[in-house]
Amino acid sequence: MAANIGILRRPVSTEGVWGWITTVDHKRIGILYGVSAFIFFLIGGIEALLMRVQLAQPDGTFVEAGTFNALFTMHGTTMVFMVVMPAGAAFFNFLVPLMIGARDVAFPRLNALSYWLFIFGAILMNFSFFKAAFPDVGWFGYAPLTTSEYTLSSSTDYWVLGLQIMGIGTTAAGFNFVITILNMRAPGMTLMRMPLFPWMTLIVSFLIIFAFPPLTIALTLLLFDRFFGTNFFDTAGAGADPLLWQHLFWIFGHPEVYILILPAMGIVSDILPTFSRKPLFGYTTVVFAGAVIAFLGFGVWAHHMFTTGLGAWATAAFAGATMAIGVPTGVKIFNWLATLWGGSIQFKTPLLFALGFISMFMLGGLSGVMHAAVPVDTQQQDTYFIVAHFHYVLFGGSIFGITAGIYYWFPKMTGRMLSERIGKVHFWVMFIGFNMTFMPMHILGVLGMPRRVYTYSVDQNWAGLNLFVSIGAFIIALSILLLIINIVRSARKGEAAGMNPWAASTLEWAIPSPPPHYNFAVIPTVRSQHPLWDEEANAVEPPPLPAHGEPHMPDPSYWPIVIALGITMVAGGLLIWQANTWLGLLVIAVFGFVGIRGIYGWVFEPVAEESAERVHAHH
Amino acid sequence: MRNNRPTGAGNTNTVTTPTAHPQNLAATLRRLLYFTLAAVTLVAVLASCDTPLTTFEPRSDATQRIHTIYIFVIVAASIVGFLVLAAMAYILWRYRERPGHTPQQIHGNTTLEITWTVIPILILIAIAIPTIVWIAGTTADPDEDALHIEAVGHQWWFEFRYPGLGPDGEDLVTANELRIPVGRQVAITLEAKDVIHSFWVPQLVGKTDMVPGRTNILEKFTPTEIGTFYGQCAEFCGSAHALMRFRVHVDSHADFDRWVENMNAAPVEPEAGSVEAAGARVFTNFCARCHTIEGVSTEEIGPNLTLFGDRATLGAGILDSTPENLKAWVSNIRDIKPVLETTNAMPTFYVGDPLIDQLTEAQVDQVVAYLKSLKLR
Repeated sequence: MAANIGILRRPVSTEGVWGWITTVDHKRIGILYGVSAFIFFLIGGIEALLMRVQLAQPDGTFVEAGTFNALFTMHGTTMVFMVVMPAGAAFFNFLVPLMIGARDVAFPRLNALSYWLFIFGAILMNFSFFKAAFPDVGWFGYAPLTTSEYTLSSSTDYWVLGLQIMGIGTTAAGFNFVITILNMRAPGMTLMRMPLFPWMTLIVSFLIIFAFPPLTIALTLLLFDRFFGTNFFDTAGAGADPLLWQHLFWIFGHPEVYILILPAMGIVSDILPTFSRKPLFGYTTVVFAGAVIAFLGFGVWAHHMFTTGLGAWATAAFAGATMAIGVPTGVKIFNWLATLWGGSIQFKTPLLFALGFISMFMLGGLSGVMHAAVPVDTQQQDTYFIVAHFHYVLFGGSIFGITAGIYYWFPKMTGRMLSERIGKVHFWVMFIGFNMTFMPMHILGVLGMPRRVYTYSVDQNWAGLNLFVSIGAFIIALSILLLIINIVRSARKGEAAGMNPWAASTLEWAIPSPPPHYNFAVIPTVRSQHPLWDEEANAVEPPPLPAHGEPHMPDPSYWPIVIALGITMVAGGLLIWQANTWLGLLVIAVFGFVGIRGIYGWVFEPVAEESAERVHAHH
Repeated sequence: MRNNRPTGAGNTNTVTTPTAHPQNLAATLRRLLYFTLAAVTLVAVLASCDTPLTTFEPRSDATQRIHTIYIFVIVAASIVGFLVLAAMAYILWRYRERPGHTPQQIHGNTTLEITWTVIPILILIAIAIPTIVWIAGTTADPDEDALHIEAVGHQWWFEFRYPGLGPDGEDLVTANELRIPVGRQVAITLEAKDVIHSFWVPQLVGKTDMVPGRTNILEKFTPTEIGTFYGQCAEFCGSAHALMRFRVHVDSHADFDRWVENMNAAPVEPEAGSVEAAGARVFTNFCARCHTIEGVSTEEIGPNLTLFGDRATLGAGILDSTPENLKAWVSNIRDIKPVLETTNAMPTFYVGDPLIDQLTEAQVDQVVAYLKSLKLR
C-alpha cells in the first residue's frame, strides 16, 4: 500500500515539539487546551486589571475611551471563548476517555483539528492588536454598531473571523464527545453508572451542537454586511433589523452560559463524594437537573432583551422560563449539600474550591432570579449589578469549579501533588479577593453605575466603592500568582501522586499517574457507579500488559494542523482582501488549496503507518 | 485500590487522616457572615448618599412600583441565600472529618428531593406574580391628558420632541435636558438615529432601548417631585457611550408652561455692537449649519440650542454650563469627548493653529456670550 500520500513523511515519533504539533493523543490535546486557556486567562486578567486601574478613580486618564472599550470587549471575548471554554475542553479531553474507560476519543484527528482551529482563531483575533486595534464593539457585538457604517476599523472583521474559526473547532469537538461518550464506554458502564463529569460533558456537547449554529449564522450575516455590502443589520438601508442580531446572538449566548457552567458542575459533583467519603446524593436527580437546565437554557434567551421592547407577552413568557430554570439549579445545590450531610468531610484544597463554587454560584443564581423579575431588570439591566451577577456565576462558579478540578486532577495529569498549604492560601486569597471585587459591584449597580463606561464623574459618588473593587481585583491577581508558584513548585519537587491519592471512586484513578498513552492496558469491566469503592463489584485490576505488548494507538498526524492553517489563512486572505483585492484573492486561493489538500491527505491516511519494523512485529 | 473503600462491613481501612482545623473554618464562615451583614449595611448607608443615578430613591409612580418589587425580591433572595449558607456552614462543621466516623453510604431520598424541588417553585411563583402583574400594567393606554414626547438617541446625545407644542402646532424640540411638569403623566416614545441607545432615568423610570428603525414605548410615568434628575444612555453605543448623559427637569406647571411659551419665541435681538451681537453673527455663519435656535436657524444635524442659556449642562450632561466650559467645548470638543471622525461630528473651531482654526479666540468668546444670553424672559 502506498502508505505516504502526504508531502512530508508521516510523523511516527511522539517526542519533542513536533510530537506535540502532530499529536492525536487526547491527554496531550487536553494539556494543550489547558496551557492555552491558562495563558489567555493571564491575558484576559491583565485586561481586567487595566480596566480596574482606569476606574479606580473618577475621571480616570489611565487609558483612553477607545482603549477601554477594546479592553472590555477583549476581556469578555477572551474569558468566554479562550479561557473558560478551552479550560472545559482541557478537562473533557484529558478526563472523559479515562473516566469512561476508553483509550481515546472517537475521532482523535478531529480532536486535534478542534484544538488547532481554536488556537489559530484565538491568535487571529488577538493579532488585530498588531494590525489595527483590538475589537471594541463589546463581546456581544450589537448591530448596527458593528456594521461598516459605524465601525470603520478592521478590528471588527478580526473579531468576526476569529470567532467563526473557533466556532468550527468547538462544534466539531461537540460531535466528537457526544459520539465518544455514547459509543466508547467500557463494558458495564451504563449511562447511569457514568460519573457526573462525563455526564455534564455529554450535555454540554449537545448544547454546543445546537447553540453554535445560530452564532455561526449571525457572524456570517454580519460578515456579509461588512464585506459584501448586504443589508441584514445595517439600518442605514431598508429592511434591516438590529434586533435580529440580538435574537441570534442570545439564542447562542444563553446556552453558552450553560456551556460554561455545566462542566464546573460536573467537576464539583465528582469532587464532593470523594471528600465527603459518600456517594453523590440523588445521582439521577443531579443528572436530570443538568439536562433540564440545558433544555430550558434554549428557551430563555430573550431575558437579555427585556428592555428592547419585545412586547408584554414575550417578556412575560421569557420571565417565566427564566425563573423556571432556577428550580433545577436550586435542586442541584440542595443535592450537593445533602452529599456533604452525614459525610466525613476532608477539607482538602479541591473541596475548598468546590465549596467556594457552591456558595458563590448560589449567590449568582439568586441575583439572576432578581433580574428575571422584569420590573427590577429595567433598573438593573446594563448596570454593574449585572456585572456582579455574571461574575458570581462565571468566576465564582466556572473559575472556582475549574480551579477545584485543577487541584483535584493535577496529580493524575502530571503524577505529582500540588502543595496543600499553598493551595489553601490560594483558596482564601482568591475567595476574599473575589468577594472584594464583585460584591461591591452589586451596590454600584443599585447606585446606578452603568456597564461599559470608561469613566464616571465625581458627582456620581461611585469613587470609594470603585477603588475598593480595584484593590480586590489585584488581590485576585495575587491568588493566581500563588497558583503559578504552586505549579512550579510541584514541577520541581512535588511528591509523587501514585494512582489514587484522594482515594476516589472513579475509573481514572485505577491507572498510573500520569496515565500511559494507551490509558488502560486492559479495558476494565464496570459493575457499579463507584468501581474503586465497591469491593465486591470491583473489577478494576492493576493493569498488567497483555502478552502482545502495549495496545497500539493511532499514529500522529500533521493533517489536522494543515487543515486548520488552511481555514485560518483563508480568513486571513479575506482580511487582506479588504486592503488589497488581488493579494487577498491569492492568499485565499493558495490556502484554500492547502486546506483541501489537507482534507484529501486526511481522508486517505491510514490509521497506522506500516513501517518496516512494525510489519515485522505483526508477523 | 480496594483499601479506598470508604465504609462497609469488614473494612477497617477507612481514610481518617486528620486535616485542617474545622473550628477555624466555622470561625471563618462566621466572619464571612459578618462581612455580608456589613456589606448590606453599607448598601443602606450608601443608598442614602447623594448618588444621582441611584435606583433606590424613586421619585415617580413608576419607579415606586418597581422599587416595591425590587425590595421584595432582595428580601426573598437574601433569606434564601442566608439560610442555604447557614445550612452549609452547619453541615461543614457538623460533619467535618473525625476519627472513627464512617459515613453511611446514602444514595438519595425521594421525599427530600421532591420537597426541595417544590419549595423553589413556590418561591419563584411568589416572585412571578408581581412580575406578570407589572408587565400587564405596562400595556395600559396613556392618560388622556398625558404629555407626549418623542426621545431620539444620537451618537452621543439625546433629542426631545414635543409634538404639537412647537410653533404652528409643529414639534417643540430641545436636547439633552428634558423638561416635564410635576404630577402629569408623561408618555415617551423612543427612537434612534444611528445605533442602539437606551433611555434611563433611574429615579423616574426604568430603562427601555432606543432601537434604530423601531419605535419603542417607554413605561408611562408621573413624576411626584419637582427637581432635576440624572439620565444616562444604558446601552453601549460606541466610543463616547460613557459621556452620553442627560438631565430631566421636573417643573411646576406654571414654570413648564412659561418654558414652552419661551421656546416658541425668537430670542431678543442682541443690542447692536455688543459682544452678543457679534456672537450672533458667528453663530449664523458657522453654528447655524448644524444647530437650530428657534427663530434664528433651522438645521437639525446637531442638538437644538433654543434657550441654551438656561441649560444647566452642556455636551449631553457631562459638564456644567459655565462660560469657561462652553469656551473649551466650542474651541475643540476633541479635548473633552472621544468623538468619531464621522461627518456628523462637530468641527474643531479653535486650537491656536491658523491652519486648522475656523474661528479666532475672540469669535469663540463672542459666540459663548451669545449662547449664554439665550435665556427665559
